[in-house]
Amino acid sequence: MIFREVEDRDLIAKARQGDVEAYNLLVSRWEKRIFNYLLRLVSNREDALDISQETFLKAYQNLRKLDDPARFSAWLFRIAHNEAFSLLRRRKPESELSEPRPRDFGGRLLPIELSLAVESALKVLSEDQREAVLLKVYQGFKFDEMAEILEIPVSTVKSRLYTALDLLKATLAPAVFRKGGLA
Amino acid sequence: MSCKLEDRRPDWKSYALGELDARARQEAESHVAACADCQDELAELRVTLDAMATLREEELPRRIAFVSDKVFEPRWYEKLTQAFLRPSFAAAAVIAAAILVHAFVRPIGAPKNAPSQAIAQVDTSAIEARVTAEVTARLQSEMAAAVNTAVTKAVADTEKRDDQRTAQLLSASERRYSDAADFLNKQVTRIYALNTGAGVR
Repeated sequence: MIFREVEDRDLIAKARQGDVEAYNLLVSRWEKRIFNYLLRLVSNREDALDISQETFLKAYQNLRKLDDPARFSAWLFRIAHNEAFSLLRRRKPESELSEPRPRDFGGRLLPIELSLAVESALKVLSEDQREAVLLKVYQGFKFDEMAEILEIPVSTVKSRLYTALDLLKATLAPAVFRKGGLA
Repeated sequence: MSCKLEDRRPDWKSYALGELDARARQEAESHVAACADCQDELAELRVTLDAMATLREEELPRRIAFVSDKVFEPRWYEKLTQAFLRPSFAAAAVIAAAILVHAFVRPIGAPKNAPSQAIAQVDTSAIEARVTAEVTARLQSEMAAAVNTAVTKAVADTEKRDDQRTAQLLSASERRYSDAADFLNKQVTRIYALNTGAGVR
């Protein structure tokens, strides 16, 4: 992680001086993480790809405004978050019509079924809760970094994440618990 | 059996998510070793997080367009601005300003016996304004010259390409015309020969 930050910082410095290839490298290092975060957030591959594209374009255009290159990842995810929620707000009336329901994954599960159960359980969460889980569990951000990305207090980050974990535990329980262990 | 610490029990979610500092972590671990209630809570959290980890990252259906692609290409005025913001240009501007300021402020031509107070009373604001105006005018003039050069070159390049293309097209059509004329001549000669019997045995 430290090596990655050091290299990112170097690439950012070069990109700021107009080195296009340096920015290309930055994109290739981060595109998969950004795409997967957006994919789980908006639940649509094409939308996730479009927003990823928009995120990297905006990041490139505003690279000079990044105060601390060491905070590049949080800054990049902040842009992705803004773009995703801008889309989700535009689509709100449509998405409200179809409330996701947890699927029944009772019994012993194969890995692929467990993965589907998790995917389904994530959709039960609110957008805010899901995003908190995505940033923490899948992207490994610290609470303070999440607070920076989401522009909310750390206490709110914890509250969203804790509620989400309780919901996930309850939703996944029939599928994953068998006397306290994985089925 | 319930945890004897009740409200003061460790924050197991923070623990499982790796957010506790070393000391809090150690205290939590000492406690859980002897508390069945907390063991259950921690186990449930870990199982849930293990299940979450089975969700795999997906590959991108296609690569993100890079800076070298059209979508990232800076516009002509952005390129121009960037060129003028380069350190070498900024340094040259500062040096030019310094030379100008020196030229204006230096008391050339002042009478040798003029009181030093008179030199001190030079209207610096007027000088600053003149220097600023001069530097601005020079910058604008250099920028205009750079734009003119770029535009002239672009127009010349385009005209050259157009001329080459026109010459190629002309040459190709002349060839085609010549081939068609040859073909027609041969056909006419052949028909004439057939009709008159000339050259036919």
